[in-house]
Amino acid sequence: MQAQDALIRELAVIVGTGSVLYREEDLISYECDGYVIHKQPPRAVVFPATTEEVSQVVKLLHRRKIPFIPRGAGTGLSGGAAPLGGEVIISLVKMKKLLHVDWENRLAVVQPGFVNLKLTNSVASKGYYYAPDPSSQYACTIGGNVAENAGGAHCLKYGVTTNHVLGMELVLANGEIVEIGGVPDAPGYDLMGLLTGSEGTLAIVTKITVRILKNPEDKKTVLAYFDSVEDASHAVSDIIAIGIVPAALEMMDKTAIEGVEAGNYPVGHPPGLQALLLIEVDGISAGIEDQIEEILKVCKQRNVIQVKVAENEQERAQWWANRKTAFPAMGAISPDYLVQDGVIPRSRLPEVLEKVEEISKRSGLRIANVFHAGDGNLHPLILFDARKPGETELAARVGSEVLKVCADVGGSITGEHGVGIEKQEEMRFIFTEEEIQAQTQIRSVFNPENLLNPDKLFPKPSRCAEVRKAVGHL
Amino acid sequence: MVLTALDQLFAEEQIQVVPGEFHPLGNNGQWIAYPDSEKQISTILQYANEHGLKVVPMGGGTKRGFGGTEEQADLLLSLSRHRGIVEYSKGDLTITVKAGTTMKEIGDYLKMNKQMLPIDPAWPEFATIGGVVAANDSGPKRLRYGSARDLLIGLRLIYPNGQVIRTGGKVVKNVAGYDMNKLFVGSMGTLAVISELTLKLRPCPAYKSLAILAFPDGDWQAIRSFATAILDSQIEPVSLEVLSPSLNERLHGMREYGLVIAFEDVEKAVQYQVEWLKRHLPKNASLSVLSQDEADLWWDRFARISPKGAHPGSAEDQEIGLKVGSKNLDAIEVVSFCHQLGQELQAEVIVHGGAGHGISRAYVKGEESKLLPFVQAVRSHAESRGGYAVVQHAPLSLRQKVDVWGEKPAYFPLLEGIKRTVDPHSVLNPKRFIGGI
Repeated sequence: MQAQDALIRELAVIVGTGSVLYREEDLISYECDGYVIHKQPPRAVVFPATTEEVSQVVKLLHRRKIPFIPRGAGTGLSGGAAPLGGEVIISLVKMKKLLHVDWENRLAVVQPGFVNLKLTNSVASKGYYYAPDPSSQYACTIGGNVAENAGGAHCLKYGVTTNHVLGMELVLANGEIVEIGGVPDAPGYDLMGLLTGSEGTLAIVTKITVRILKNPEDKKTVLAYFDSVEDASHAVSDIIAIGIVPAALEMMDKTAIEGVEAGNYPVGHPPGLQALLLIEVDGISAGIEDQIEEILKVCKQRNVIQVKVAENEQERAQWWANRKTAFPAMGAISPDYLVQDGVIPRSRLPEVLEKVEEISKRSGLRIANVFHAGDGNLHPLILFDARKPGETELAARVGSEVLKVCADVGGSITGEHGVGIEKQEEMRFIFTEEEIQAQTQIRSVFNPENLLNPDKLFPKPSRCAEVRKAVGHL
Repeated sequence: MVLTALDQLFAEEQIQVVPGEFHPLGNNGQWIAYPDSEKQISTILQYANEHGLKVVPMGGGTKRGFGGTEEQADLLLSLSRHRGIVEYSKGDLTITVKAGTTMKEIGDYLKMNKQMLPIDPAWPEFATIGGVVAANDSGPKRLRYGSARDLLIGLRLIYPNGQVIRTGGKVVKNVAGYDMNKLFVGSMGTLAVISELTLKLRPCPAYKSLAILAFPDGDWQAIRSFATAILDSQIEPVSLEVLSPSLNERLHGMREYGLVIAFEDVEKAVQYQVEWLKRHLPKNASLSVLSQDEADLWWDRFARISPKGAHPGSAEDQEIGLKVGSKNLDAIEVVSFCHQLGQELQAEVIVHGGAGHGISRAYVKGEESKLLPFVQAVRSHAESRGGYAVVQHAPLSLRQKVDVWGEKPAYFPLLEGIKRTVDPHSVLNPKRFIGGI
C-alpha cells in the first residue's frame, strides 16, 4: 500500500487533494462506463483542470509505468473507458469550457469535457449548430465523441465526428503536448483522422476545434407506419435510390415500438405496427416540399398504413424524443438490455433483419431493432434478465452472433459505439491477423509501452502471432 | 540485370527499361513496371523490399512534379493497367474501384446511373483515383461535398513487404479499429501502394447552376464581406471560390476578381438561391449565371488550369503550383496576396481559393529567379497566419532548391515513426514527403 499512497500523494501535488479519488467507495462509479457487463475498479481517478496538469499526470504515470485511461462522461457503450483493473482514470470533466467561437470561419474551440449538446445550445442564438448528435448528446462530451468517432441520427447527410474536427491539442503517452490540424490538409500523415475514433489508445485530446454549421433554412419530418418490416426496408432503399439524401432516416421495429411507447416519451403510435420510419429532410425551403411529396409517394408504393408530416416543431421534437430515448425506454419492457451496433450495406436490410429474427427465436431472447436505416447502422437491443443465471452471457453471445451476420454480408461490427472491450474478439470477423497487426503497430508508434488505455480495441494476439513473436525474440 | 527474377514472372512488355533521357520533373525510374493485378504489385514490392530497390508508384503522372528530390529511383510502378470498376452498389451509394482508374472513367460510369463521386480534382481524364487520394487532391466543391478523407471508406493496400492489408470496409459508417484509411490519404505513396478503393457516392443533383460574380480589381474586401454574408445565410453553396483577375479573365473573359458560387439541388431550390444572390448583390459586382450543361462545361475548363505533370504535350518546366492551407476566410486574402505578388514580380500568376474551406492554389510561370521568391513570400505570409504553403508542382531543379513541404512540424517524430513502422526499408517514394520521409 505504501507505493499506492506515494502515487496518490504525487497525483495530489499536481491536481490538488480534492481532485484525486482513491477510496474504494469513491471508485465504484468508475468501475464501468455505459457497457455495464464488465466491472473492475480503477486504482484512482484524477481530475486535471488544465492541459498542463494532464501532461504532468501523464508524465508521472509514464515514469512509474502505471497504465491510465482518459474518460469523459462515461456514456460509451463498448467499455472503452472501463478499467480492466488497476489503471488510473484521467477524467476530463473539469476541462469543460467553450474556449472560443470564430463565427466567420465557422468553428468552435472546446475543452474535451464540454458536453456535446451544450455546444449546439451555445451557438444556437446565431443560428448555428454542431452536427454530430449521438443519442446521449445531453450528457456525452466532445472529447469522448472524438475518442469514439461518435455519430448520431443526422450523420447520414452530415457525417460523423471525424468529418467535423478541424484541429486538436494532444497530450501524448509520454506527457508531451502537441497541436495538430488547425487548417485543412495540414502537410504530413493525417494524424487527426487517425486519432479520431482511436478510443483513447493513442493520445489524450485536451482541446478540440470543431466545425459549426448554419441551421438549415427548413426541415420537415415524416412518420410512416408499416405492417411489414420488409416494406419499410424497401421504402428506405427506394428513398435513397430516387436521389434524396435525407438528413435522417430512422427505423424501429415492433418490439422497439412497444418499448418506446412504454417509456417516458410515448407518441401514441397505433398498436400492432411491424415497423415505423422517421424521415427528416432539410435544406432550402423551396426544395423541400417536392422531396416530401416523393417520399410520401415511395411510402405509399410500399404499402404504408399511415404516413404523416410533423405539423410543427413541437410534434417533431416529440417524435425525436421518442426515438432518441429508445435505448433507456427498453427498461420499461425488460429488466436488462444489451445494445449492439452493427453496420450492413443498406440494400441487405430485409435479409439481415430476417436472420436477426431467427437468432432471437433460437436463443429465446427478444431483440428490439432501432436503427439508423439510411446508413445501414443497426442497433439491435437484446432484452434479457440478469437475475436469471446464464442469461447475461447468453445476451452477449447473441450480440456477437448478430455482428457475425453483419460481417458476413460485408458489413462492420461497429458503426459508432466503438470496439472497447466488448467487441475485441469480433474484430476477427472483419480483419485478418495481419490487418490487426498493422493497426497495433501504429499504436506502438504513439503508445509504445501500451500504458494508454491498454488492451482495448484489439483482440488478444492469437496463438500463431504469439509464436511468431516468440521466434522473433530469439 | 537486377530484375531478372521479375522478368521471368511478367510478360515482356510489363517491365521495361526507361529510355535514358533526363526527365525535367524527376521521380523517374530505371525500369518501369506495368502490373495488371494485385498479385503482381505484391510480387514487385516484395522483390524490391528484399533487394533494397526504391520504387516510385505512379498513376496518370499528373503529380510527377509533386515532391521528391531524386531524379530517378530504381523502379517506376505504373498503376495504369490496374484499372476498372470492381463493385458498384447503387442502392448503397458505394463503389469499389482499382487505383489506376481515371476520375473521368469513374465519373462517366456513375453518370449513367445518376450518381457521382463528388471529388473534383484537376485533369480528371488523366488523374487516377489512387493518385488523387494519395496526393489528397481536391477542388472547389469540397466546400459542400468534402474531400477524399470524407469520402473514402475502405482500401486494399499492398504494404512494402508484399502483404495485402485492408483498411476500413465497404459500409458508409464504420468505427471498427483505427481509421487507418486516413493515414493513406495525402501520404504521397510513401507508406503502401493503393490497390483498390471503396468510396461513398452521392446522387447527381437534379439541377445545377453556377453564379459568377465579378468584382473590380483591388476590391477584395467587398468579396470578403459578401462571402461572409453568404456563409452566415442559410443558402447552401457547393462552391464559394474566389478567382484572381487573371484566372477570371482566362475562364470568363473579365479581368476582375471572380467569386464562383455553385448551387446543386432540386431545381426550385437552385432557382431560389440564385434569386437570393440577385437580391443581395453588392453594389460594384456584376453577375452572370450558367446552368446545367453550361455549368458543367465551365467546371471542365476549370479542371484544366493547372500544370498536368508528366503528361505528354505539357511544357510547364518553368511553372510551379502552390497549395496554400489557411483558415476559411483567409483564403480570400491569400488570393489577393498571390495576385499582387505576381504583379510585383512581373510573373504570370493565376490563383483561386475557397472562402468556405481554406484551400487556395496558385500557378506561377516565370524564370526561376522569380519563382523562388514567390514561394518564400507566399509561405511566410501563410505561416504568419497559422497556415502553410506546399509546392504541389515544380520542376526537379526547383524542388532541389526549395523545401516543397516547409518546416517539419513539432510532432514530426510521430510521422517518422509511422513511416518506419510501415516501410522500414524506405522502399516507397523515398524523400518525397515532408521532412525527407
